[in-house]
This record gives sequence, structure tokens and C-alpha cells, in this order.
Amino acid sequence: MIRVTEQESLVELRKRLAAERNAYRKQVIVSSGTCGEACGSLVVINAFRRELAELGLADKVLLRATGCHGFCEQEPLAIIHPGNIFYCHVSPDDVCEIVSRTVARGEVIERLLYTDPVSGQKVTTEAEIPFYAAQDRVLLGQNQRLDPTSIDDYIADGGYSALAKVLAQMGPEEVIDEIKASGLRGRGGGGFPTGRKWASCRAARGDLKYVICNADEGDPGAYMDRSLLEGNPHLVLEGMIIGAYAIGAKEGYIYVRNEYPLALKHARHAVQQARACGFLGKNILGTGFCFDVEIARGAGAFVCGESTALMNSLEGKVGEPRPKDVHTVEEGLWGRPSNLNNVETWANVPGIINKGASWFASIGTESSKGTKIFSLTGQVRNTGLVEVPMGTSLRTIVFDIGGGAAGGGTVKAVQTGGPSGGCLPQSKFDLQVDFETLEQAGSMVGSGGMAVVMDEETCMVDMAKYFLDFLQDESCGKCVPCRVGVDRMLEIVTDITEGRGRPEHLDLLEDLSETVAETSLCALGKTAPNPLASTLRYFRNEYEAHIHERRCPAGVCRALIRYAIDAEKCNGCGVCRKACPHGAVTGEKKQPHSIDPDLCTKCGICRDSCKFEAVRVF
Amino acid sequence: MPEFVTLTIDGAMVRARKGATVLDTALELGICIPHLCHMPNVTAIGACRLCIVEVVKHGRAKVTASCTLDVQEGMAVRTNSGKIHRLRRNIAELLVAEAPNSKAIQDLAARCGVTEVRYPFRNRNCVLCGRCVRICSDMWQARALGFVGRGRERHVDFPFGTRPDFCKMCNSCIDLCPMTIIPCPRPMQPGEEYLCGLCGSQTSMASTVPETCVQCSLGKGFQCSRAVPC
Repeated sequence: MIRVTEQESLVELRKRLAAERNAYRKQVIVSSGTCGEACGSLVVINAFRRELAELGLADKVLLRATGCHGFCEQEPLAIIHPGNIFYCHVSPDDVCEIVSRTVARGEVIERLLYTDPVSGQKVTTEAEIPFYAAQDRVLLGQNQRLDPTSIDDYIADGGYSALAKVLAQMGPEEVIDEIKASGLRGRGGGGFPTGRKWASCRAARGDLKYVICNADEGDPGAYMDRSLLEGNPHLVLEGMIIGAYAIGAKEGYIYVRNEYPLALKHARHAVQQARACGFLGKNILGTGFCFDVEIARGAGAFVCGESTALMNSLEGKVGEPRPKDVHTVEEGLWGRPSNLNNVETWANVPGIINKGASWFASIGTESSKGTKIFSLTGQVRNTGLVEVPMGTSLRTIVFDIGGGAAGGGTVKAVQTGGPSGGCLPQSKFDLQVDFETLEQAGSMVGSGGMAVVMDEETCMVDMAKYFLDFLQDESCGKCVPCRVGVDRMLEIVTDITEGRGRPEHLDLLEDLSETVAETSLCALGKTAPNPLASTLRYFRNEYEAHIHERRCPAGVCRALIRYAIDAEKCNGCGVCRKACPHGAVTGEKKQPHSIDPDLCTKCGICRDSCKFEAVRVF
Repeated sequence: MPEFVTLTIDGAMVRARKGATVLDTALELGICIPHLCHMPNVTAIGACRLCIVEVVKHGRAKVTASCTLDVQEGMAVRTNSGKIHRLRRNIAELLVAEAPNSKAIQDLAARCGVTEVRYPFRNRNCVLCGRCVRICSDMWQARALGFVGRGRERHVDFPFGTRPDFCKMCNSCIDLCPMTIIPCPRPMQPGEEYLCGLCGSQTSMASTVPETCVQCSLGKGFQCSRAVPC
């Protein structure tokens, strides 16, 4: 590997690497992030490699395994250049046909193309797919152009040019001013202006300062940071080096949770490569600036995503938050000034330097600039990672990009911001997604998790119970409001779902959620009541139905529902009778069956097995 | 020569030693902010959250614990506003419902204005205030006790569950434990959890004269610098 010691040699290296890549007229790109690997992308890549070698095309066609492209629903994906032909659900058996027809002769295989679920039309290229069409993929788009394990790919794509520009032409203050002017705000959840944070860390007293990248993403259903770090680790690293230069830090840490093995592997690999190339270490690009990065593994506690708990964990202590009355930019890791930013925040930095603050500030709303990645999960047709400009409406994200509810039903609510966020009903779907608007509506942008909840199938009380259970389990237990308060909330909500709810419980829950939100030690506790408070605010009627009528409108809470067979629809086929594990269904052949409520455990197997929708829930 | 800063606590302009916490300053000045996990000369961790105050900054009030908050020039603190009173009462209510079988906790709850408890009693033996853990590690440097587990499973224990050789048997942990002060007549039996009636007189004082010392049992047992020993 060539060690880049001067600005000029980086430019030359880039020219050479880009020319090498442009020499290939044909390219096969297979997405192979964690989601791709889970769907079998590794087998597909091996099949491609074998097939290309057999046909003697191995040195004529560039085969590239990239990070996640975002459309996780359709994995494994393969994109064939020229033509930008987009194949989804590729299996190893299809590879032979793809190579012989598409790669060799440029024919399109109709069968493997994406089908637009609305029009039923086959779509050839990515740009025509509605999921991609409504997005602005500033960060995620880069994932497609490079192999995350190759620094050469990154350099050829213009990588480390922002670092070279900063070191050659800009002073640390200028960098901070540029970030301030761009209006970039922290992507980890708080939304604190990044430029201001850097400036106060630079101004803080101390010789030794640290920059930290928080890749301890623990929200259920959120994986934006993972995809960025495993799909484009050098981008994050370049952002960190620029940040370190601006702040005056000599050391940096990337804190990755151990449950992300691929992100960890790629990040480690990237750091080694950057060190070998001279982008990390002493005298970076011959300017005398020194900086190095270490990778730290997190042991999987959700609370360690909180900045002070993360620093405790880095120091080798128990991952518990510390009081934040003195900010971490002044007294952080080992009591020294530390600047902690989220993966996505760091990844935005090189783009701002390269394209200018005004470019970044032109995207988004008045107060929230740039694009934001959301992970769209739950009962939605197109699950995956979505990158949209700040200020896009929830309706666009859920319906235009997400394609609406998976089963064709109506979408009842969207849960934004992970377990600490809130549920927003349909009436709020026209809200712009930005930091202030969502917070006013009782939810938050958070790190960007977005679960879509469906009508009739999801009970909002049960939903609140799920998130409370998660938070109660993940609370570190240090302070009383979070440890006892969340536990009590869970106790009361469990009572409500099991038919022991009392009218005064609702006021108590409101009182308690305010107490926990105001008095908890860290942000986990302060936002813990959000799922409960927002469902209480927008779906109070469901709570009231549980308490006053002892009824679960969605038919989810087992203690409040009853299974019965509709005698008119039942034709006595006996499938449910055979399926019931408890022998609760009785009836003669060809005669309507019935369910014995004493034996029924409400498991729902009979309903799932009935082809005539005769089993109903009351 | 110590440096001083000027701040207002409940509207009164006061002078405080630089580097002191708001809680210590207030206690020194005779303003009692109820607290449980805070002890003199031991690092504050801000765990019980009973000592919350409102700090007014740029016209906005923020609720934070006073034991971990250092005094700053020009700071405005409210220790007993309606909101603080309500939040503190709710926290004390959570605590007393966890462990009603302690006079210290009962008095503390009464001091914070708890008159009824809206949750079922749990009768735990520990409220995880961490006084024992910190006196052992901070004051005596023995580190024989520590927190084990997370969330609901969090509890105080010896390393690996057995008493280590380096425990000096100093009994500080027992002296400082709020759970060792039993309710007046006798320890409660299961099924008879109720708030000790003897706190009634203190409760009335807590609501009428909120900031004065009520010489609670907690103070006597816990070396509160202001409580008069009897």
C-alpha cells in the first residue's frame, strides 16, 4: 500500500485508481451488508466469481461487494453496469443466467426485475423504483460505489479530498465556522448544533482532547449507523479526522457495539488501511498534524449509547450515566474535553467541506439542515433505510417511499425515534420531519428509527407496554425515577392490559410520566415516558376502552378478548379442531364448531388456520 | 483564600464558596433540601433525585439534582416551587412504596409531602441509595461492596457474593443504611404496610414551613449537619 505523504501524491493516486476502475466497461455490484449477508449475498458473490472465471470474464468484469443499498426488503440485490440494471431477490441459481445474458450480451432478464406493487409494471433501473425516487441519498448513495474493505475504492471516489483540503487550506477555526454555517445538527437524537459543540470543545481547557464516534446503536428496529459504518467506514473516519483537526484532538475512539460484527470488522480494517496510507498516525499528509483512532467494543447495554455512560464504559467502568451538569466537551472521557458525535454526524462532515456549507444548508428546513437516514420497519410494504431531506412529511416517507401498510390495510400510527420516541396518529402525518416539529408533537427524530404500526392489528396500549418493558429492562437502575418509575408505569400498563385497570390509573400515569421525564438523571430516563405519554395523548380512547369497557379494540390483549366461531361462516371442515393444541374446539363434521372458553388459551392458532375467516375475536 | 460566588436561592442573594454544590450551600445556609443518597464528604452520584431544584437560565427553568450541581456566579435556584414540590413528592412516593418498612424513608416521604401512596407496597429491603457502597469505596477505600446487575436486577452485594478479606468489618454500611431504622412500634408484617402515623406533626410543618429543618429521623441517623441530636 502506498503511503500518501503529500497533497500532490494523493491527487495522483486518485487519478490512477480512478483510471484503473474506469478501464472496466462492465461492473457487477452486489449489496452485501449484514442484511444482504442474511439473505445469502455471500453465496451469490461466490457464484458470480466462479461463473465469471469459467467464462473467462474475471479480468474484464469488475465484481464489487458493497455495503447496504437501503432496500433491505428486496435483498440480495445485484446491479449490472452498463445499463444500471437492477435485479432483486437474486439467488445463486440465477447467477449463471445473469452472467451469460445480462453481463455478456446486455439483455434484461424480466423475471428478476423489481415489480412496482401499485402498477404491476416491471422496473429496469433503480431510479425508476418509487422507493428510491423520492429519496435524496447523499450518504447512502455512496455505499453503492465502493467496496467497504477497500481504501482504494474510497480514494478513487474522491475520498480523503476533504481532509486534504482542510489540512492545506483551512485553519481549525475556519473548519468550525464552515460546520456552523452549514447548520449541521447532531444525528444521535438530541439535535445539538455540531459546530457549537466543536467550538466549545476547542475552547475548553486541556492539552489532551478526544473525539469519539458513537456507534452504539441500540434502538429496536434501527440500523442506520450500522449500515453507514459497515458500508462506508472511511467516510466516518475522514469526518472524525477533520473533527479532530478542528478541535485539536490527538486521539479518537469509535465505540461500536459488539452485536455489529461486520461493522466492527470493517471499521477495524479501515483504521488499519488509513494508518498504512498515512491518513492516521503521525504527520498526516505531511502537515505535522497527528491523530489516531482506536476501536472499542460495546457490550450491548442500551444505556451505553448515552454519551456519559459510553465514556464510563470506554474508561472500563460500569456503563452508567454520569450527571451532566458539566458538559462532556469540558469534562468527558477521563475528565478531559471530549467531543462525541454520532456516526451519521461524522459521515456528513466530509460532504460539507467538499461541497461547501451553503450546499448543505440549502437542503432541509429553516432549523434542521441536510438529509437524515431513517430505518423504516414494521408493518410497511418496503422496509429498509430511507434517506430524505429534513422536513419531508411523514406521509411521503410512509406512503410514497414505504408503500403503505404491508397487508394493504390502513396505517394507524407511526412510531418515530425508537423506544424513546412517541407514536403519531394519521392526523399528524402531514407534519414535517424535523427536530422541533416532532418534539412539539410529543415525539422526536431521535436516532432515526421509524416503526410503522398498522390498524386493527396493533393495540396501542400493548405497544406502550412493549416499549416500557424494553426500557425497564435496559434501564441501568442508577436513579429512582427511571428504575422505579418506569417499573411502576409498566406495572400499571400491565394491569390495564390484563383487565385490572382503574379510572384513576390514567391520571396517575400522566403524573408519573411527567415526573420521570423531568427528574431522571440521563436522557434515557428523560425520554422513557415518551411512548406512553404520546399514546395517552393521541389514543386515549383505547386506554379508556381497556379500563371502562374491559375491551381491547385491536383484539390483542389476551385477558380482554374472547375467541368465538361464526356459525354462519363455519362449514365444519375441522381444521381448527385438529389445530387446537388444547382441544378447546368441538363440533361434528360439516356442522358449525364452537370454542370452549374454559379450555381456550387464546393462542390464535384456530384463527390462523381457518380459511373461511369464521373464527372471530371479540 | 477561598473564592466566592454570588447566587440567589429562593430569591435570597447568598454568597457561596466556589466549587461547592448547591445542596451543600443550601444546607449550610439553613435551607433544607430533602435528600437521601447524598452524604457529607462522599462523592455525590445524583441517584435518589430527591434533592431536585429548578435552575433558571436564560429565562428557562431546568430541573436538576442539586447534589451534583456546582454553584455558579449569577445562578438563580428555586428549591421549593410548586413544581419541585410536586415532583419531589412523586419521587418520595415511589421510594416509600418500594420500602415502606423504614422510618427513615417514611419520614423522608412525609417531609416531601406524601400523604397517600397510590401504588401497591413492595416491602423491599433496599432502596439502592448506594450510601453503603460509596462509604465503603470512597471513605474507607475498601471496595468490599458494589452494585451488581442492571435495572430491576440491580442490587448491592459483595464481589462474587461472598464477604471478601478486605472488608474491614467497620459497620459503616450498616450505620448509614436507611433501612436499619425501623418504624416506631416494630417492623411491619406483610399485609400491614402503612405510613407511620407519628410523622403527622412533621408533615404539617413540611407544608407550612417548607425550608426549615424538621429534625427528621433521617437527619439524626444520617449525620445531617443540621439535625440536633436528642
